[in-house]
Amino acid sequence: MTKNLLEIEDLKVRFKTEDGYISTVNGVSFSVKQGETLAIVGESGSGKSVTSLALMGILPANGEIYDGKVTFEDKNLRTLSKKEYRKIRGNEISMIFQEPMTALNPVFNIGYQLRETLILHYDMTKEQANKKGIEMLETVGIPDADKVMGRFPHQLSGGMRQRVMIAMALSCNPKLLIADEPTTALDVTIQAQILTLMRNIKEKSNTSTIIITHDLGVVAELADRVIVMYAGEVVEEAPIYELFENPLHPYTKGLMASIPKVHDVVDELYSIEGTVPNPSNMPSGCKFYPRCPLGNIECTKIHPPLEYISADHAKRCIKV
Amino acid sequence: MNVIEKNIIMEVEDLKKHFDISKGFIKKVNSKVRAVDGLNFQVYKGETLGIVGESGCGKSTTGQLMLGLLDATEGHIYFQDRDLAEMTQEELRLARRDLQVIFQDPYSSLNPRMTVEELIGEPLIVHGIAKGEELKKQVLDLMNLVGLQKHQMTRFPHEFSGGQRQRIGIARALALKPKVIVCDEAVSALDVSIQAQILNLLKKLQKELDLTYIFIAHGLPAVRHISDRIGVMYLGKMVEMADRDEIFHHPLHPYTHALLDSVPIPDPRLRKEHLLIEGEIPSPTNPPSGCAFHPRCPFATEHCKKVTPEYREILPEHYVACHYPLVDKDTDVLPHSSDKA
Repeated sequence: MTKNLLEIEDLKVRFKTEDGYISTVNGVSFSVKQGETLAIVGESGSGKSVTSLALMGILPANGEIYDGKVTFEDKNLRTLSKKEYRKIRGNEISMIFQEPMTALNPVFNIGYQLRETLILHYDMTKEQANKKGIEMLETVGIPDADKVMGRFPHQLSGGMRQRVMIAMALSCNPKLLIADEPTTALDVTIQAQILTLMRNIKEKSNTSTIIITHDLGVVAELADRVIVMYAGEVVEEAPIYELFENPLHPYTKGLMASIPKVHDVVDELYSIEGTVPNPSNMPSGCKFYPRCPLGNIECTKIHPPLEYISADHAKRCIKV
Repeated sequence: MNVIEKNIIMEVEDLKKHFDISKGFIKKVNSKVRAVDGLNFQVYKGETLGIVGESGCGKSTTGQLMLGLLDATEGHIYFQDRDLAEMTQEELRLARRDLQVIFQDPYSSLNPRMTVEELIGEPLIVHGIAKGEELKKQVLDLMNLVGLQKHQMTRFPHEFSGGQRQRIGIARALALKPKVIVCDEAVSALDVSIQAQILNLLKKLQKELDLTYIFIAHGLPAVRHISDRIGVMYLGKMVEMADRDEIFHHPLHPYTHALLDSVPIPDPRLRKEHLLIEGEIPSPTNPPSGCAFHPRCPFATEHCKKVTPEYREILPEHYVACHYPLVDKDTDVLPHSSDKA
């Protein structure tokens, strides 16, 4: 049994708004093992991105973790000071964002931005950092790496910018890499390049990865284990093959059935009726109940617990 | 749709659209973006023609040209055998009733200060089709058609979710009883469960109202689901066009083959190495010589660098622009049903 690198227990995140607090992550628990790739899947408003921002310690100013435990290598991240957090962020845990154009600083060249992390965390000299930076760019498949060091983000294409982001995130050899929709903004042939790159990185290093996505295709390509989120909660957790072969929660099933398949054309797609509930107006009982084909009166009364049906497969539903 | 009567409703002939890039104080034109660079195809009545391609391939510009929203630099667009460019203002105004569009982002394409009733009723008022009670009745019928509730009539766009807003956009497009609808990335911004609702709605409406769709998108699974025929664009040119299943099972152009192979399949049992194509899409300002795909093509020869391949029908209803089409090769990127144990 490999050790857990990260453990999240009953995480709750809320945002302060004009109408009081709105809770968008409502008791999320999961763990990530050494070297493992965990995918968090969900649609807009499921709380998947907020969860990742919370554990990076970069929630927006009006957001806060108000309950739960975040343990990274036996350290409780919630009790860290800002300064201590900064030592971990970018060094031991790093992150790749969806849109590298907004994540990269437009007024500094790539070299400066790559060196910055290395100088900060490793106390390197500029020359050392430069050498390491070029090496990192080469690792992620950027041709003419030394020239790219002098370029600015706007001079690179979307795929190249995403490679730079990955190089930057990996430059300090993080133990945990969080990738939030890393390929969503990219064209499909470029997406295939980045997914292949991420798969190669995974094979070569022992970095654990959390990949956050709405695309079950990306999940199927990269993940070892998957958690499915809906309305701020985990509704299902399973190893990758188990999840695709034996999905249990009606939401997971619906999600899988509603993707148009390239290899299996049907006349009418299955669709989940209705929309994701608003966090300020959550249904009582099961949160998926209003859209669920199996839901009945019982589901409005009980808030179903996350129940393990085997060692590694859990579901939050009383009907299945 | 196996029994399409092949009545041509629209036809595009040698269509080109070049945008000038001017720099400096005197706005001297110093380069051109060849957004659309010589397209030839037909759209059959009642079909869905999918147009796919990556950023910068000119698919959206093609859509705007076909709607008469942009003027072509060269070439012709025929709608019901009439050239859009030769129409008078009045004729064009009438043609536009028949040619409607659904945009990607229903938030930025709907006026935030207008209610649903006003939004859906606006085209009817502008074209002087209905007013008063009749207007209200028609708006209600349209809302009903796209699955919106009567009580939502007085609400504003921000009160709706993305999927619901797209329904408002569709109702607006349907208001003038169009014949052709250009769906420009109409489901790309939606979550998968909502995307399925909208794709089903579009299919239902097509049957009921005898619509022709031009479905422009980069999301291949959705395009495969809805289209009867699919055209693949690369750097302003159509590189391949054929029946949907033909495109997916026997792509003949190396670009189509690689594009289809790049789509991640949502099944971990089918994990595979992708057929990667090197490099990035070149800029349409300065496209490569000869075949525009040659710098990234694994089969390119000297000939490809010099001579632009002709877009021609090499199998019945299967058009390709390639000197060395992948005929007689197994290019089927899709798993066969036997692969799934």
